Amino acid sequence: MADTPEWVRLSDQEVVLAARAGREAAYRELIRRYERPIFALLFRMVRDRELAEDLAQETFIKALNAIESYRPEFKFSSWIFKIANNAAIDHLRRRELDTLSLDGSPHAETPEAMQATALQIGARQESPLDAVEAKELGGAIEAAIGRLRPEYRSCILLRHVEGRAYEEIAEILDLPLGTVKTYIHRARNELRLALAHLREA
Amino acid sequence: MTPVPGPHLTPEDLDAWLAGALAPAAQTHLAGCPACQERVDTEREIIALIEGLPLMSPAAGFTDRVMARVAVAQPLRVSTLELLRRRALASRRSMAVAASLLVLVAASMAASVIWTLGHQATLAALGGWLGTQAGQAAWLGLRWVASNFIEQPWFADVRTLAASPGRLGIAAALALVAYLSGVLALRRLLALPTQRVAHAAV
Repeated sequence: MADTPEWVRLSDQEVVLAARAGREAAYRELIRRYERPIFALLFRMVRDRELAEDLAQETFIKALNAIESYRPEFKFSSWIFKIANNAAIDHLRRRELDTLSLDGSPHAETPEAMQATALQIGARQESPLDAVEAKELGGAIEAAIGRLRPEYRSCILLRHVEGRAYEEIAEILDLPLGTVKTYIHRARNELRLALAHLREA
Repeated sequence: MTPVPGPHLTPEDLDAWLAGALAPAAQTHLAGCPACQERVDTEREIIALIEGLPLMSPAAGFTDRVMARVAVAQPLRVSTLELLRRRALASRRSMAVAASLLVLVAASMAASVIWTLGHQATLAALGGWLGTQAGQAAWLGLRWVASNFIEQPWFADVRTLAASPGRLGIAAALALVAYLSGVLALRRLLALPTQRVAHAAV
């Protein structure tokens, strides 16, 4: 089976079954499907590009090496997001992070490192004016999300960036459904207050 | 000023509104309540901002770096068959050997089935004899174990202990405590480390 077109038609469950049967291409397909959402979630949780990449690698290595223990009755996406979220929460518990810097990792020590770890915004920008506006708004929302409690951050990112249902978020985070809803409402409320000055302007 | 009907929108109402399923009563309230209108407008803006966050990708070569540290599953059946297939098809000689072995196995299986069908009485007699021998051996073994047990110097003490239910209970309780202590000690000794690895090195 070739690498892309045939795999695209298969569900996650079918790809996992192929991986269990020893198909390396199936492993690569699972990484292709989830590398961006997992990396984006981890980046916005830990706010450090290099660290997010390390945690994303750790997540995939852990999940794929344990592919035989995955239970197909659950969604693969829930399983891998759960592993990623646990990795991020474990890290955050061990280390208090600084505030978000759009100009690069707070741990970067050289200008090159700052550049290399800077948040890449611009894929959807059209003109210099749009770019400035988008950077200002995007930066403000990124910063405001970065200041949320980690639990609120996980919930709001899974809900509005990844588009996961409340029930799936509850499964990923091992939280009651009501708690997930409360966290998301509180997070949106905090974001509304944090961005009030921009809206007024 | 005209009073606005009904209570202000709750967080659940906001979710329903976002999903396009706001109850009619709440819709009526929303239409006449500037505060709730501002609230839903803000909510929509915030969500649009979050949903508009830039897409992000890990650095190039991410998949290869992950795959370098992943052990691709090798189901025993698949790997064994694959190995046999490769060896059998390696050369003409190996193909001839594999074919000969296949014919030999098939012929011996057929011969075995034919012989069994023609000698059912012999097989039944052999089965009966084996059953009798096994029963005798088991009985002799049991007698040997029992006589050895009785001949032990501590057997008289065990009998005395068994005669007194109180002592027997205490002895059983002590044995249980010792067993559980041993199990707990082993669990502590054999527990896996729980600390997770913070960074997966490339």
